[in-house]
Amino acid sequence: MSFQSPMPSREFLWDVFRRVDKDRSGYISADELQQALSNGTWNPFNPETVRLMIGMFDKQNRGVINFEDFGALWKYVTDWQNCFRSFDRDNSGNIDKMELKNALTAFGYRLSDEVVNIMVQKFDRFGRGTILFDDFIQCCVTLYTLTSAFRQFDTDQDGVITIHYEQFLKMVFGLKCLP
Amino acid sequence: MSYNPGYGGPPPQQGYGQPPGYGGPPPGQLEMGHGPYPSIGPGGGVNPQVQQWFRAVDKDQSGFITANELRAALINAQGQSFSETACNLMIGMFDKDRSGHINVEEFEKLYTYVNQWLTVFKTYDTDQSGNIEENELADALTKMGFRFTPDFVNFLMKRCTSGKVSVDSFIVLCVQIQRFTEAFRTRDTQQNGTVTIGFEDFLTVALSCSI
Repeated sequence: MSFQSPMPSREFLWDVFRRVDKDRSGYISADELQQALSNGTWNPFNPETVRLMIGMFDKQNRGVINFEDFGALWKYVTDWQNCFRSFDRDNSGNIDKMELKNALTAFGYRLSDEVVNIMVQKFDRFGRGTILFDDFIQCCVTLYTLTSAFRQFDTDQDGVITIHYEQFLKMVFGLKCLP
Repeated sequence: MSYNPGYGGPPPQQGYGQPPGYGGPPPGQLEMGHGPYPSIGPGGGVNPQVQQWFRAVDKDQSGFITANELRAALINAQGQSFSETACNLMIGMFDKDRSGHINVEEFEKLYTYVNQWLTVFKTYDTDQSGNIEENELADALTKMGFRFTPDFVNFLMKRCTSGKVSVDSFIVLCVQIQRFTEAFRTRDTQQNGTVTIGFEDFLTVALSCSI
């Protein structure tokens, strides 16, 4: 399944970039990006998702995005949007438990209902039993990070690993930065 | 025991922290009496001073305190509000009915809890900089009964984006280590510092214990 969108023209990107870069610094900060993105409600975009995305595309490691990095970021958000919409079958603007399970299955995961329940609980920021667009990105990126960490140890691919205490902590601690 | 050669530094001998010292001082291990409040006894009611604090923090006078209201009230040594993560964590700990906010009785417990952490933090902040630096963190974790390699302490420091640990980050960090350690310990049936864990169980621990 592909959610790939074509890369828009440089002119288009420049126009978007200038509108997002509110203070005209030439860089997009986490705050500026958060204000520019919408999860379909009046609530601010998930700051953790913003941090994840800046971290992913900020090549200079300065916590901001310059115009050169912006194209890749724009495409990333758009691809996620396409992905989210395709699994939001009832067009409700959010993803419920069944829709999340379908999405994860399409990504190649085979997870029990219990784990899917935990994921909904974990990433549902507003206690509604559903996941919004921004939380969906955080959910998928987190799952991907954990799976990659697990797979590194699962050399025989049997779904079971044996790890030391500190290795374990590093794997589960990698999810979030502290302020 | 077979250790993954080349990984991290010396592996933890016999695992993590001796049971008695494990878990760190808060909550309940510190004696009360640091603050101007009596012990919370059954039927004792809420201390008037705590009630006063509660009213000051409860900006919209709803009778409840949310994570945002708590955030506006708590300031660390750098003059910054406590992080959203720290406030969510603490509200979550004392919000027994999972309503997303706490009442005055729950607030009294939270107030005590924060004060205990402040005391603990000060004892480990030996240079009184208001932050915990890497050497202080190593020392603090050792005193709490954890035995981590310098490599791991360094890893923890790197998780803190500012390079040093303020009191609110310290609370989050310690609670996080405690929860993961507890989850690890229950699976470490041989008590040799290793676990054998399946993918779904791993995901469950990582998701349900993380803050």
